[in-house]
Amino acid sequence: MLRLTLAQMRRSVGRLTAAAVAIAIGTAFLAATLVAGNVLQRTGYDSVTAQFGDADLVVTSGAAVQDLDTVRDVPGVVAADPLLLGGAELSNGARTTYQMLLAQPGDERLASVVAQTGRVPAAAGEVALPATTLDRLDAAVGDTLEVRWSSPSDDGEWTEHEGDVTVVGLADDPAGAWSAYGGAGLATTPDVLEWSGEAAQDSVPAQLLVVTDGSSQVQADVTTALDDADVLTKREAAEAAVEQITGSGNALVMVVLGFAAVALLVAALVIANTFQVLVAQRARTLALLRCVGAVKRQLRLSVLFEATVLGVAASIGGVVLGLGLAQVALAVLARADTGTPLPSTIAVTPTVVLVPLLVGTLVTAVASLVPAREATRVSPVAALRPVDAPSVSARGGRVRLALSLLLVLGGAAGLLVAVAASAAQVGEPVLLLGLGVLGGALSFVGVLLGAVFWIPRVVSLAGRALATTGTSARLAAANTLRNPRRTATTSTALLIGVTLVVLMSTGAASARRSITAGLEDHYPVDVAVSAVGGAGDESVPASVAAEVADVPGVEQVVEVPTASVVLGDGTFVVLRAPDPAEAAAVLRDADALDRLEDGTVVLPAAREDTVTEGDTTVEAVGTDGEPTGESATLRAVHSSLGGVDAVVTPATLRGLVGEAPVQTLWVRLDPDVDAATTALAINDAVSSDAVLVESAGAERQQYENLIDDLLAVVVGLLGVAVVIAVVGVANTLSLSVIERRRESATLRAIGMSRRQLRWMLAYEGMLIAGMGAVLGTLLGLLYGWAGAAIILAGMGEMQLALPWDDLLMVLAVALAAGLLASVLPGRSAARTSPVAALAVD
Amino acid sequence: MDTTVYVPSGPASGPDPRREDAVASRARGLTKVYGQGAAAVRALDGVDVDFAAGAFTAIMGPSGSGKSTLMHLLAGLDQATSGEAMLGTTRLSGLDDGALTRLRRDRVGFVFQSFNLLPMFTAEQNVLLPLELAGQKPDPAWLDTLVDTLGLRQRLTHRPSELSGGQQQRVAIARALIAKPEVVFADEPTGNLDSRSGAEVLSFLRRSVRELGRTVIMVTHDPTAAAYADRVVLLADGRIAGDIVDPTPDAVLAGLDALRTLETSTGSAVSA
Repeated sequence: MLRLTLAQMRRSVGRLTAAAVAIAIGTAFLAATLVAGNVLQRTGYDSVTAQFGDADLVVTSGAAVQDLDTVRDVPGVVAADPLLLGGAELSNGARTTYQMLLAQPGDERLASVVAQTGRVPAAAGEVALPATTLDRLDAAVGDTLEVRWSSPSDDGEWTEHEGDVTVVGLADDPAGAWSAYGGAGLATTPDVLEWSGEAAQDSVPAQLLVVTDGSSQVQADVTTALDDADVLTKREAAEAAVEQITGSGNALVMVVLGFAAVALLVAALVIANTFQVLVAQRARTLALLRCVGAVKRQLRLSVLFEATVLGVAASIGGVVLGLGLAQVALAVLARADTGTPLPSTIAVTPTVVLVPLLVGTLVTAVASLVPAREATRVSPVAALRPVDAPSVSARGGRVRLALSLLLVLGGAAGLLVAVAASAAQVGEPVLLLGLGVLGGALSFVGVLLGAVFWIPRVVSLAGRALATTGTSARLAAANTLRNPRRTATTSTALLIGVTLVVLMSTGAASARRSITAGLEDHYPVDVAVSAVGGAGDESVPASVAAEVADVPGVEQVVEVPTASVVLGDGTFVVLRAPDPAEAAAVLRDADALDRLEDGTVVLPAAREDTVTEGDTTVEAVGTDGEPTGESATLRAVHSSLGGVDAVVTPATLRGLVGEAPVQTLWVRLDPDVDAATTALAINDAVSSDAVLVESAGAERQQYENLIDDLLAVVVGLLGVAVVIAVVGVANTLSLSVIERRRESATLRAIGMSRRQLRWMLAYEGMLIAGMGAVLGTLLGLLYGWAGAAIILAGMGEMQLALPWDDLLMVLAVALAAGLLASVLPGRSAARTSPVAALAVD
Repeated sequence: MDTTVYVPSGPASGPDPRREDAVASRARGLTKVYGQGAAAVRALDGVDVDFAAGAFTAIMGPSGSGKSTLMHLLAGLDQATSGEAMLGTTRLSGLDDGALTRLRRDRVGFVFQSFNLLPMFTAEQNVLLPLELAGQKPDPAWLDTLVDTLGLRQRLTHRPSELSGGQQQRVAIARALIAKPEVVFADEPTGNLDSRSGAEVLSFLRRSVRELGRTVIMVTHDPTAAAYADRVVLLADGRIAGDIVDPTPDAVLAGLDALRTLETSTGSAVSA
């Protein structure tokens, strides 16, 4: 039996290859993820170790900076310094940054950051800074910068301090010890304590680094001297630290492993499909075996054995591929100088090899269980019957239908409840999210289980539409329906990947739009340039508007006359009076001022609850906060305007207080430029004027970029599942080609050209892939919207977005993939000689 | 016979479909060698033969005599090693795959031993397939004629799995005739049928020649089947070994017997 199985495998090697590719990609993904986790951990360990310099011992807790002398007095201690990281706000003119600063150790053996040029700080008011920080501040070694910090005074109030510091050196962190903190500069220990606001405290807890003379007694002595502090060797301390910090790193690896699981699930579908076809093709051989005395168990074991051999072989290939890719990625990253020193080679641990190997083999074997059971169902009589084409027309049983319906309805109900409850703001958000995820997952499993019932119907409808375009298309449409189960499984494999991609993309687009809408409401203006000063009635200098308008990336600048008033209900509000047309152009939310006209005061959304719409008396107040006696009756209207200021027309403001000073400029930026950079450029352009530049646009863009980056990573990871599914489409097509060899030959004999035959396969591939993509897109949209509705409900105004670009791209990719998947099978079908049609098997 | 039978004006229908001098298919020095060197097999060895238009000709011979190879070459399914196969006045040797495909689509029809209908299409869709591939509209009168002649009226909406073997083969004949080809090649058309269905199919092939003016060349090893033809060409060892006009089963059997005797003794052709 064993020999027979192996002989059969050799005959089917081409057919098994595609399945092997699918499982190999999945295991490669898994292996690469595990390796990445290892690298992450090792990098963390290396950087922590680097932080400790050449210390022999590390006092990790229970000690303070003030204990240093105690430690230094312990016999055998050669040097001891605190590992103290603080920070301060540094500025050079208009450029400001917050910089992490490490206390310069007294002993250079304990230094993790050194001076590349210049020297390390030796006196108060001296710092060494990383090159990136100097760039950001546009400063160089030797320059004097301004430092700002705050510290608590005796009564607990925080007070602001300012001072000057001199850059004495260029700080370099050769081992990347602080790259996770964005790099660290150096300052003296007293300065770091001062700027951290801890100078006045009697005891500042800190880790202490100790160099010893090497005697083993020192560790115990230091522990005793410090009254039971935790004194660890450098190695122990690094391991303890890594344990703590990789909590988040592990979470990342777990998420990526989740994506690997999706990829393997898709691979399992491809394998199940392949074995189903193999069993169907071998129906006669299997029947013959049954005739000559093979028992059912032997046939089942034969299929399972075949799957296991395939699983092991493909998984070995996958592990090698995954490790190779990880090594290449590491080499590329190392060359690309990320600032973090990476290990030069990956560590091949037993886990990294064995886990993917086992998982890959197991997935393959499990995927072949159903086909193995089918193999046992072949009746011995089948060997005696003239079999033309093996037919598997089973559509799936009633149990499957019932289970599928139950899961879909139950899951959908859970999802709906979660959405409705979130919208109504009842219930714990975390619980609702859990319910939503559970409901979504269950209904998706139901949809997948039921795929065999509904996908062929949908494909048939689409095929009927396609069939009108020509004979090749009509044949293709008819072919997809010949084996509904296979078509369903192949489409499903793609559907899974597409659903998840679209789910993420829709969720991200909705989140992005909701956050943007929220931010637009909060900060209706991209950049505001305001006059600063103590009096409260300063104008923005007249030249500033022109200077700002000249900055590249600025679309429009509006001067806004401003006055302060007291409303009828006694509350204080600032009135802004921009030209209505200009304001509509500059505001992100152009509709906010729809109801602005002479004689009205448009209140911000924040005042909706406190001030009723209708006539209200408005009284101007002076810079001293006292009413000036000028007043008018205006009609208050509500709006979606963000912020706290109200808006009136210039005419209304003139009627109230005469000519008001232009206290602020509203600036709109080109949406395609980087808002943060442009805001900085505006800041630079007006640095000589007494104005303050505030950029809401930069903050908004920051959020948007964050979402976009996350989405790109997630889509990339899910892309692996899509690639495997495409391999599955190609596999199904080539199996069909093999099955329909005589049919292809007949078509060629009665006058179908090679081109038409290739197109037939191409249409079939595109139909299967396209339907998987369309259905996946619809499902993904629903799930994405439901998820966004649940998660974003708490954020106020929720907006559902349709990421058209992404959807069209998904469809285009799916169709192209279907087309691509048909290339090789199409070539082999077209090579079939028409003479084969005359052959009788 | 029904006197209202529609006689087509297709390319094959000359002034008189049974005119003896019109040649539908012709072989000149036709040779086919499979394999190379010591393993080379001469399947056909310099065959010269003409097949008259408007006639029903059978090619007969024992297994390995080269009768299938001859048909493949005449039908443009395969390329000759040397010599010339002609369809009407068209030389097949110089044609590329595209031209051969168009030739098969427009000028040749096929009937296969195992029917080779597309299982997912109905009988009518199967019949119309060659026209569809060519992007042509069916001639409704011709379709009606074929359907009625072959007795398929009640079966048009059935799929192959719902038809008997004889019915399937009749659908295949209709498919072969729908484009009004110059020649229909039939490869053991009764090989997979019981004797009654076989007889039915053969009489339909004969009617399509006599009443519809088509040309049929049939490969068979069944003397009874061959007897339905107007003429039998006997083949042995890749050469023409005999020619029987207006055969009866007995005459064909006699010819075959003569071949067998020849195989055991000397190698000269017999003429019946």
